[in-house]
Amino acid sequence: MQEIEFSEFVGLISLLVILLPLFSFLLILAGRKGSGANLALINISISFILSVYLFFFIWNKQPIHYQIPWFLIGDIEFKAGVLLNNLSVLMITLVSGISVLVHIYSRTYMKDDLNIHRYWAYLGLFCFSMLGLVVSDNLLLIYLFWELVGFSSFLLIGFWYTRPIASQAAKKAFIMNRIGDIGFLIGIIIIFSQFRTLDITALFGDMGLVKASLVDKGLWISASRQMPEVWFSIAGLAFFIGAMAKSAQFPLHTWLPDAMEGPTSVSSLIHAATMVAAGVFLIARVYPVFDPFVLNTMVCIGAFTAFMAATIAISQNDIKRILAYSTISQLGLMVMAMGIGAYSESIFHLATHAFFKCLLFLAAGSVIHQLHHYRDEHSLDFNCQDIRLMGGLKKGMPITFIGMCLASAALIGLPLSSGYLSKDAILITAFEWAGSRDGIYTMIPYIMVITSWLTVFYISRLVFKVFFSTPKLMSMEQANQIQDAPKQMSYVLLILAFFCLFFAFAFNPFSFDSSWLWNGFSSNLFQKVNFYHWLIPLILNIGTAVLIFTAYRIYVKNDGMSISEKNIFHRFFRQEWYLHELYNYLFTVPVEKFSNVCYWFDRNIIDALVLKSVTLISILSAISHWCDRILVDGFVNALGTCAKWIGHFSRNFQTGKLQHYLISMLLVVLSFFILTYFI
Amino acid sequence: MIPLSHFLIISACLFCIGLYAVLIKKNAIQILIGIEFMINAAVLNFVAFGKFDKLNGGGQLFALFAIVLAAAGVAVALAIILNVYKHFKTIDPSKINKLKN
Amino acid sequence: MNTEQLIFYFFAALLLTSALMVVAMQNLVRSIFLFFVALFSLAALYVFALADFIAITQVVIYVGGVLVLMLFAFMLSNKELLNSLHPIKTSFKFYQLTGIFICLTFLFILVSLNLQIDFSGLNWIKSSAPILERDNTTHTIGILSMTRYLLPFEVLSVFIMMALIGAAHLARKDKKA
Repeated sequence: MQEIEFSEFVGLISLLVILLPLFSFLLILAGRKGSGANLALINISISFILSVYLFFFIWNKQPIHYQIPWFLIGDIEFKAGVLLNNLSVLMITLVSGISVLVHIYSRTYMKDDLNIHRYWAYLGLFCFSMLGLVVSDNLLLIYLFWELVGFSSFLLIGFWYTRPIASQAAKKAFIMNRIGDIGFLIGIIIIFSQFRTLDITALFGDMGLVKASLVDKGLWISASRQMPEVWFSIAGLAFFIGAMAKSAQFPLHTWLPDAMEGPTSVSSLIHAATMVAAGVFLIARVYPVFDPFVLNTMVCIGAFTAFMAATIAISQNDIKRILAYSTISQLGLMVMAMGIGAYSESIFHLATHAFFKCLLFLAAGSVIHQLHHYRDEHSLDFNCQDIRLMGGLKKGMPITFIGMCLASAALIGLPLSSGYLSKDAILITAFEWAGSRDGIYTMIPYIMVITSWLTVFYISRLVFKVFFSTPKLMSMEQANQIQDAPKQMSYVLLILAFFCLFFAFAFNPFSFDSSWLWNGFSSNLFQKVNFYHWLIPLILNIGTAVLIFTAYRIYVKNDGMSISEKNIFHRFFRQEWYLHELYNYLFTVPVEKFSNVCYWFDRNIIDALVLKSVTLISILSAISHWCDRILVDGFVNALGTCAKWIGHFSRNFQTGKLQHYLISMLLVVLSFFILTYFI
Repeated sequence: MIPLSHFLIISACLFCIGLYAVLIKKNAIQILIGIEFMINAAVLNFVAFGKFDKLNGGGQLFALFAIVLAAAGVAVALAIILNVYKHFKTIDPSKINKLKN
Repeated sequence: MNTEQLIFYFFAALLLTSALMVVAMQNLVRSIFLFFVALFSLAALYVFALADFIAITQVVIYVGGVLVLMLFAFMLSNKELLNSLHPIKTSFKFYQLTGIFICLTFLFILVSLNLQIDFSGLNWIKSSAPILERDNTTHTIGILSMTRYLLPFEVLSVFIMMALIGAAHLARKDKKA
């Protein structure tokens, strides 16, 4: 009894956590325009507090699963409910915590925007859908919230919709997410047709149906039915495609750099910390459905994405685009980790990545914000996001500088940072995994090492160019006068900076085994090769130091690039591997051509049919006009003419002429004679 | 002997000819001639039947009377025609269609 | 076919031919002269009907009286009358067809009726006493008109007087102009 009451109570609390941001969304949209900020902030803070409460209740304890009946199809009943296990409460806390910080940051960052009430409403909608996503207990509800997350991302990317680039970017994001959603839906359909249920605990739990199903003699056998075993792989691939679109893996990653058209706070919340993590979250939720083939695919795609994004990031000049590609790269790392079976390492990295990436974005946001002020004050005109025009901001914006440095350290994986723990955990596990594989898979860990070094290079390039080098558009004194961001923004940066260090995640800064977060999840245990645990971090950090020094030499001392811009690799990376052009050529242009063909068809054939029918109808009307005029009117006229003739004829009987009278008289007499005597 | 029917047929023909003249002609005098033909046909009829009436002699006598009457009629008609001509300036009966004046 | 019938048919043909020509002619003078011929042949026919007095009367009154009267009437009248009697050429009209149709129908009726009757079978003809050639019809007519038919005779004379007076009055010259 008490258990049931407790689960009901907890279920209601989690419902409250989810629904409070929804209330803020609805109320802000319905209400006055002024009070949106406070309402949103209060709602999300309460959500955060409740989710922390839930966290302490559920972490490493019995998972709570609370359901209510939803609807009935045939004899299958669907239930809606919340599932609170380690993964759910971790995500819920993470999402609501970062949302609170971004809300506080946005109060100042978006203060002067006229449409700000819409912003708060959309943020509320996003938080609602993301929180709902992580606690849903069946695939249908997850799909519902998945779509809602994509939709609110669309709304927020296109927040400044009057700019055509922004609305196009929003469209691109939404369409690419849709492509992934098709995959997700196919996966749901396959799972449902195989298992007749969509409940996550029933399917993917330790005693779950998926684990209980066998793959035997080419058939995928479950309790209720069988199908050919290829569907198992297809289901796994389908779910992975859904995750790929959301988490921006190659080839569905091109929406994320364009999504930087939205406000920076939005970018930090959605496209760094939470929404893009939803894909990895989905992989984590449905993990048992992936068979070795799909897992290998995951590894390859994740590794390739990470490498590709890192190569592109080293050549970009827009501060937010560099960070976007950095996000893609880290997500590739997470996906690869999922693929090799490092489930808990991947989740660990997701959590640490959320904090330091959010901090990176918010710090970049504060730099952009201050440069906007500088530009408006001095009536200049330059792109506030171009790092080639920035420089020397270290003195004037110390808090931002510290925040960015700590976040970069976490991203690089320097010791004493949280990123060191999570990233090196993944790399070590990768090497252990590769030990049991052969062929191309042994290359994967080395590719990841190279990717980490590339990460070092691009983020240090960013930091040096923004904060250290000589400014291009102003003198050093002027640069020193650029003040730090307003206090609220800075405090948020400091809070996030705290989470970039190792304190929050483990007591031992050098070993991830001691992390409470890592221990909260189980993952495949590979053959633990002990010397990897100190060798790989050592190699990584040596490379890191070399690269940081090199970057310092290039960007601070020499103040320029050492590789010319015409270099083919540079061009290739700068044009983002020409993928935008490729997609444009493959998809956009044919679709436009096809739509032109359809338009031509519609205009010339269908409209021509309509016009021909118009001609037909006019011909018909001419015919009926003719009929009416000639036949009907003619008949009536003929009647008249007949009467006239008869009258004309009869008139002659009364001529007044004697002989005519005589004739008629005689005619009568004659007819009398004839009738009497002959008939 | 001539059979009776011959006379009657001849008189019938004559009568029809006279009738034709009365109906068709545009000249009042020719109409008069037609009338005369008709009367003469009737007289021929009288005379033909009168052959069988020796006792009363009615046929021949009435033929006589008819001839006299016809003559008187012609006289009067000619006088009328002259008067009509004086008034209407034409003797086409189809043009004389007003009673007044 | 003996001579009598031949002569009869000859006169009958003459009569009918001249009558047709009278009717067919447009010229008034010619038609009047043909009328003259017709009257003569009619008188000959009367003779064949054993009505010799009627024949003579016909010739005297009709030919000598009526015809001459007609001739004198229009020949001695004004010039306009004469001119207006010139033949007016009319085209063959529907009107004439009606006339021909009526006449032919009439003729047809009369003739067919005639042919249907068997005159020798009629009672009154069988029981009658026909006039013979050697009878003196003049004598009979004279007596009958004074005895049996006196009233019509007298009335007729009055009538002729009336006609005379009337015609004379009608044809007088207008003294007012």
